[in-house]
Amino acid sequence: MNKNTTLQFESIHKQYFPMVLQMCLGFTQGDYDKASDLSQEVFIKVWKHLDTFKGLSSYKTWIYRITVNTCLQLIRKEKKNNTMSIDSVHHQLVEESKNDVTEASNSLYKAIGQLNELDRLVIMMVLEGQHYDDISEVLGIEATNVRVKIHRIKKRLKKILDHE
Amino acid sequence: MSNHFSELEDAWNQSKKSLQSSPTNIENTYEKIRAHKKESFLFYYGTIAILSTTLIVIFSFFYFVAPVEQVLSRIGAGLMLGGLIVRILFEINSIKKAKKIHSINNSLEAVNNSIAFYQFRKKIHGVVAPIIISLYTIGFYLITPEFLIYMDTWNVVLFDISYLFIAVILFFQIRKGVRKEMNNVRETVLLKKELLEGN
Repeated sequence: MNKNTTLQFESIHKQYFPMVLQMCLGFTQGDYDKASDLSQEVFIKVWKHLDTFKGLSSYKTWIYRITVNTCLQLIRKEKKNNTMSIDSVHHQLVEESKNDVTEASNSLYKAIGQLNELDRLVIMMVLEGQHYDDISEVLGIEATNVRVKIHRIKKRLKKILDHE
Repeated sequence: MSNHFSELEDAWNQSKKSLQSSPTNIENTYEKIRAHKKESFLFYYGTIAILSTTLIVIFSFFYFVAPVEQVLSRIGAGLMLGGLIVRILFEINSIKKAKKIHSINNSLEAVNNSIAFYQFRKKIHGVVAPIIISLYTIGFYLITPEFLIYMDTWNVVLFDISYLFIAVILFFQIRKGVRKEMNNVRETVLLKKELLEGN
């Protein structure tokens, strides 16, 4: 990659890293280490495909697509290795207390984490202020279908929050 | 509900303020990019390298060490080498399909490409590999009569029996591969269903 593309990548990283990391945090129920790895994977893909970005959508929508697909791929990987050793659980508990995620944010991510994986991603895009048409473009499904989905997810999320 | 949701939106925006990109983040990403390049090269070309090396070793054996002369043996050698070549071609096709799974596509396209890839892998493990191994086995035993001319009978018998053990290991390997790909197909199809369902 040439110097211009490197500069472009670094500017994209700077601008969208918080958005990607926050989505990954919501997806991983506030697990900072896992979310960091996941967001790095997203930016590896951004780097890999930056040359082919045609500008047909905004950078934001493009990065959403990569983030959503990377998170969905993680579900398949996790289902393959769905056993967790006691050591890794202990490590996770110790690390969780170290990271920067505040308690308030953590409970927010935990609430979102009670939704199923796909619903988490959809509602996080809504929280980010994405329009239904953009979400429909990211997912590749009809906008009407997105609308129905979001209505259902909001109802479910309300139930979760009412129980807390 | 809207009250709840606007509170959630505020909490979401507030929480994002603590997350910032730093030079260390970018440097870590660059490090991962370098590691990823090596890994993905091995992932795509590892199997092809192993199969090609096996092909070269077997070809060299029949060409330089034990050039078989009987027609039956030559057919046998042909089946062994031909099977390997076909398998390599399928692996190359598999790489092409794997490279179509782009994260830059929309989720539905990415899921559809994943399903096509896993179904193709399932076909390789469940149909192509057993046929190739059967041809390879037939080829192996077709060479045996000519080997009996140059080697002790017990040596050839031992050779043939040891091949049976390899066949059992291969059978279990194939079964494992088919199960893995079937699981992948099942999970990806479920994800697609989830994506498409409206309520």
